Amino acid sequence: MKALNPKELPAHSEAEIHAKLEKMLVKIKATQWALADIDWDAPGREVVTEDAVLYPKLKAFMADLMWIEHVGARGFAAMAKVAPTDTLKEIYQYFHAEEQRHANAEMALMKRWGMLDGDTLPEPNINIRLVVEWLDRYADEQPLEVLGSVIPMLEIVLDGSLCKFLLETVHDPVCHEAFGHINNDESRHLGVDFMVLELLGFGSTYQNAIKAVGNVLNPKLMIGILSYAPLLNKMRDNLMALGLPEERLNVALRKYRTIGGRTAQGRRNAWFQIISRHGALVANRAYSAYHRPVDGLVWLTSKLPAQWLPKPPSWVNELTWKPAA
Amino acid sequence: MTTATRSKPKTLATETTLHDVLIIGAGFAGLGAAIQLKQAGISDIVILERGTAVGGTWRDNQYPGAACDIPSNLYSYSFAPNPDWSRAYSGSREILGYIHHLVAEYQLEELIRFGQNVTSMAFDETAGLWRIETSHGERHAARAVVMAPGPLSNASLPKMEGIEQFKGHKIHSAMWDHSYDFAGKRVAVIGTGASGVQIIPELVKVADKVTVFQRTPGWVLPRIDFAPNAQMKSLFRRLPLTQKALREAMFWIHEAMATGIVWNTPVTKVIERIGQWHLKSQVKDRWLRRQLTPDFTIGCKRVLMSNDYFRALQAPNAKLITWPIATLSAEGVRTVEGIEHQVDCIVFATGFDVNKTGTPFPITGLDGRRLSEEWSRGGQAYKSINVSGYPNLFITFGPNSGPGHNSALVYMESQINYLVQGISALLRGGHKSLDVKPAVQASYNASIQKRLSKTNWNTGCKSWYLTADGFNATMYPGFATQFAQQMKTFDLADYRAG
Repeated sequence: MKALNPKELPAHSEAEIHAKLEKMLVKIKATQWALADIDWDAPGREVVTEDAVLYPKLKAFMADLMWIEHVGARGFAAMAKVAPTDTLKEIYQYFHAEEQRHANAEMALMKRWGMLDGDTLPEPNINIRLVVEWLDRYADEQPLEVLGSVIPMLEIVLDGSLCKFLLETVHDPVCHEAFGHINNDESRHLGVDFMVLELLGFGSTYQNAIKAVGNVLNPKLMIGILSYAPLLNKMRDNLMALGLPEERLNVALRKYRTIGGRTAQGRRNAWFQIISRHGALVANRAYSAYHRPVDGLVWLTSKLPAQWLPKPPSWVNELTWKPAA
Repeated sequence: MTTATRSKPKTLATETTLHDVLIIGAGFAGLGAAIQLKQAGISDIVILERGTAVGGTWRDNQYPGAACDIPSNLYSYSFAPNPDWSRAYSGSREILGYIHHLVAEYQLEELIRFGQNVTSMAFDETAGLWRIETSHGERHAARAVVMAPGPLSNASLPKMEGIEQFKGHKIHSAMWDHSYDFAGKRVAVIGTGASGVQIIPELVKVADKVTVFQRTPGWVLPRIDFAPNAQMKSLFRRLPLTQKALREAMFWIHEAMATGIVWNTPVTKVIERIGQWHLKSQVKDRWLRRQLTPDFTIGCKRVLMSNDYFRALQAPNAKLITWPIATLSAEGVRTVEGIEHQVDCIVFATGFDVNKTGTPFPITGLDGRRLSEEWSRGGQAYKSINVSGYPNLFITFGPNSGPGHNSALVYMESQINYLVQGISALLRGGHKSLDVKPAVQASYNASIQKRLSKTNWNTGCKSWYLTADGFNATMYPGFATQFAQQMKTFDLADYRAG
């Protein structure tokens, strides 16, 4: 007989999940903060600016982090389009704005640390540009199953490893204050993400699998995967260069697998299964059958002349470090 | 043209004055009812108006750019055509001028008591009279009452978090502050409904910066507006039939729109395509277009008509914000992306407090029943105009009389025609009271709600047409022609005569 997972949770009914989402929306609205709540000129910037070893790596890391938050924000905007209920739609509209707030706050930190060239945005790397382009063109057409399963994985990695690592590495109190707010938001995001993962698993395994196969065969999604996979590899390598232990990523990914798979519905969501396995592949460089072709894509994309890419969409220009407009 | 404006009531009566008909409200509906009642030979009429001037919605809505989104030839009474409309879609000042013209032309001024805010009314079954009290302590009694308070007559600042903290100037679109100079000011406009799309292009012309906060984008269709030339006006004057023919043509064009606006049909898709084309032709940026693309079936909310709204949003001094509003602050509007949009003035284009549940003041019917209690979850009436248990009471723009595709005045005329027949039957038929039978009203409403369930208004979007519970007590599910047909005959068999 198969042993029961000690963390197995009793399945929620759809009605219970929707009731929880209603409560969560109320909580989200009650816990708003603004950039103006933080004194960006408070003392402590020198712990970063005077650390010659940390500074260049942190500058690259913050730019990547900021762009990832911004890209995540656009993902939530797409999810709001396909949310099955008004409540979830409104939650995603808030999350879209909140991820943007995180990117804005991270940009404000970069400004504080003198990492911005005047008011201009940090230059996104080519892989970010490709993902931005894909999101702009195709994200709104994706079913909720796809982004609803990918985003929790990205958020748990951000929340569970990157941000924790950042706070251990950077001792600027303003950075801690900003990430205190960001982490509170992210914990609500994760709460909703996992409720939705469970919601997406309703229906039979067979039906979910068929739907997933149908989605994977969608050429627009394939283009997305081809943009997303090299970005993850590049990010992973940049993080390792900054000193993030690989085990941190594995812990975060295990958390995704444990929480996402704690109910039968969650496990029935075929996209959860795909994403969790894919996450494990990305984290571990030993899977050369995966990493070699993806590294090839990283190399190939790095050779893409920037002028071949279209002008970034105008939503990118919404990013700002200024607390007041 | 008279101004039909007085600052105070002439007298403060302490004893009850008795009238055949008492009309509450001197807007389009109240004045139209008075005209038609007079023409039917009923002359003992009093009109109680809470304001100090006639015009109702058009008196109150004088914000920059205020205009009707129905062509003026159709948004006017068929019995009082105006050959001199300066535009196909006239502005609110000109419409208000037309209302003043009606007052002068039909000598209504003497009937109106200004500054009379009705506070309660109750039916005296024994006497067969409605007894009405006003905030000035005046008491009136009337054989019949026409309630014409107007569906869009009450507006207030929305209950937004932080609204009390904002230190700048606050203006509601329906209570415009004409003394405020927008030149050089940073202005926020909250709301992008029918008022918002008219105000924004005007503010962009004068203000230093206009930040527009949108919650839900609406469908915006182009407006075929033009200024009739002198020859056209002269033709209308010499041959009134030509203007009547134009009105008929406009009526049928709008009726045809119902096939796509009221119900979801292939025509709906065609009208949506026109909306999409209008957006695409004026907005080249993909993201801005996405922000302005509605995600509900056209017709579910009020369709907006504008040629310059999209252009105004793209002006260098304008900015559209679609982030949710977190709170208002001392300096402006804080949105969820963490930014405070600092402004000198906030314009609330947030619409009206439409009375879908309850009543504007206590109305007591037979056996002490209260209409506010019966309507607490949404109003119900017979043919939108009479309510069982409240005899001799006629309500203009009552439950389920709203048009989504045609001129409100067309509907209003049908209602006025009906109430004139009903009041004539009451006064001349020797009846003390006429009360619609409960079963007749129930059967009518069952049919209305069944028909509503198949309309675009009930397709899931949130709109001011629906109560919080999603009950549609506002709209009429059909063509204006059908509405006119149902209002054509006042059938005494539907009423209990007392």
